[in-house]
Amino acid sequence: MTCSDVERVLPELLDNTADGAFQRGGGALPADFDAHLKSCPACSELVSDLRLIASEARQLAATEEPAPRVWLRIAAELRAEGLISDPLVREPESTPARAVLIPTLPRRRWTSTAWWLAPVAAALLAAGAYVLSHKPVPQVAKQAPAAPVTSVAKVVPETPSAATHPNNSPSAPVVASEKAPQKPVRPAHTVEPAPSAEDQQFLSVVSTLGPATRATYENQLQAVNADIRETQAYVDRNPGDEDARQHLMDAYQQKALLYQIALDRIQ
Amino acid sequence: MASVQKASVQQASVHYTTVVTLVVATCLASAAFAESKKEYRFTVGPNANVSVDTQYGAISVKPGSGNQVVVWATLKSDNVEVDQQQNGNRIEIASHLLEGANEQTGLVDYEVLIPPDATLNLHSSTGPLSAERLQGDLTLEGADATVNVRNVENGHVHVRTMRGAIMLTDVRNGHVEISSISGDVHLKSVAGPLVQVITGSGKIFYDGDFGSSGNYRFSTHSGDIEALAPADVSADFRAHSMMGRVRHDFPLRPKHSRFPVENGRSFIGTTGQASSEVVLRSFSGKIRLKQR
Repeated sequence: MTCSDVERVLPELLDNTADGAFQRGGGALPADFDAHLKSCPACSELVSDLRLIASEARQLAATEEPAPRVWLRIAAELRAEGLISDPLVREPESTPARAVLIPTLPRRRWTSTAWWLAPVAAALLAAGAYVLSHKPVPQVAKQAPAAPVTSVAKVVPETPSAATHPNNSPSAPVVASEKAPQKPVRPAHTVEPAPSAEDQQFLSVVSTLGPATRATYENQLQAVNADIRETQAYVDRNPGDEDARQHLMDAYQQKALLYQIALDRIQ
Repeated sequence: MASVQKASVQQASVHYTTVVTLVVATCLASAAFAESKKEYRFTVGPNANVSVDTQYGAISVKPGSGNQVVVWATLKSDNVEVDQQQNGNRIEIASHLLEGANEQTGLVDYEVLIPPDATLNLHSSTGPLSAERLQGDLTLEGADATVNVRNVENGHVHVRTMRGAIMLTDVRNGHVEISSISGDVHLKSVAGPLVQVITGSGKIFYDGDFGSSGNYRFSTHSGDIEALAPADVSADFRAHSMMGRVRHDFPLRPKHSRFPVENGRSFIGTTGQASSEVVLRSFSGKIRLKQR
């Protein structure tokens, strides 16, 4: 058996795997299939991956199986558009043929070019489910950039959350005016919000460098956080201002830079 | 009379003891802060990679001759060592703080000579950092370190500081990327395909011609931006300050842009053939573009 032969029987393998039973030797697969896998690492790895993907896809299908009415509706639509006709299922000789409205998804013989559709479809289903369940808020002002990831695993700058952004509550007014940005109003920074958990952790780490150094980093952190709050408030009022959004991204990069410089010093 | 003599003797004894103690303490302190100098030499091939990393102290790098990397390290005390390692064309020099070392006793100053085409990485929290007359890629990082780069061409220059000021002079033909949280940035005769400066509260000064076919992006949150350019500069300019004032004295030709122009807060326009793109952004600082 050659590698090409293996590729030809892969759809068969997928069918068997989908059934939960992988027939070795006899059955649908050639007898020397296993022997080839033992001698060919590439095919062995390919088959192993395929079995894993098919297995995962089967589990996913079990959880994401659409309700029967979905198939019913699809079938009705396809029939209305003339794309399919009611298939006739030949029952036993004594039973007259009848129309099947909801086909029972007959087991397909996978062609050699379509066998990968199952895992891809499964992945698309999973991705779609994820996208639907994590639908973003359709407001530009809420699309603040994600906090940059630093090279430090445990100490990561906070995301643009309520901790650093007091105006980020759902009730915060958002003015969507691109043409006429509001006159900027500098938010009062006299009241410094309590540091977030990440910032507290950061400050406790830099405390090991001595009180003066801690004070320096504390001041720098407060300044960066104030910049973030100020810019975020402006972006909320002027969501169409690309420069302001860029400033916000810059401010988060500054915070990431501060974290990294401090931790470089500690290391 | 005897008691007076006794008191005098006791006073002299105390005085003597104090002097001896001071001398001994001085000797001990001198020993503890004993400054030493070390020299390291390495032979490398073309495009070597040299890294120097110290917690405290200055690093100065200049081009050497031939394929030699020479490092002179001045250690301020015995509380710090210098680790050095060569792996093929890559050389790593690092200060190694020992128990009890601090900003004074852990200080090591480096003077380094490298082949001009070498890639250079410098790191010092306190600095200063300086590099000149080089042609390889340069990365300089520090917290409070001031950074000075002069006469560099064809290499990329990356600089990051917390509050250290940054000065680049005569830097050509490379990507320049500068980030600082509160440090001022001075660029004089700096031109290249990409020149990007981002600082939080620092000011940005530019004195140059904005080269040709370059992309210049200067951004500061609360600092001012001042750019000085010759009258015949060729560039597309866009400046915007959300809260500060924006001014220029160039006869800019209007340019269609998707960015709205708010009088006094932003301007957009072209001079010459618009060979470079210049974007000046400040959140609350002033921006001024002036003719030289």
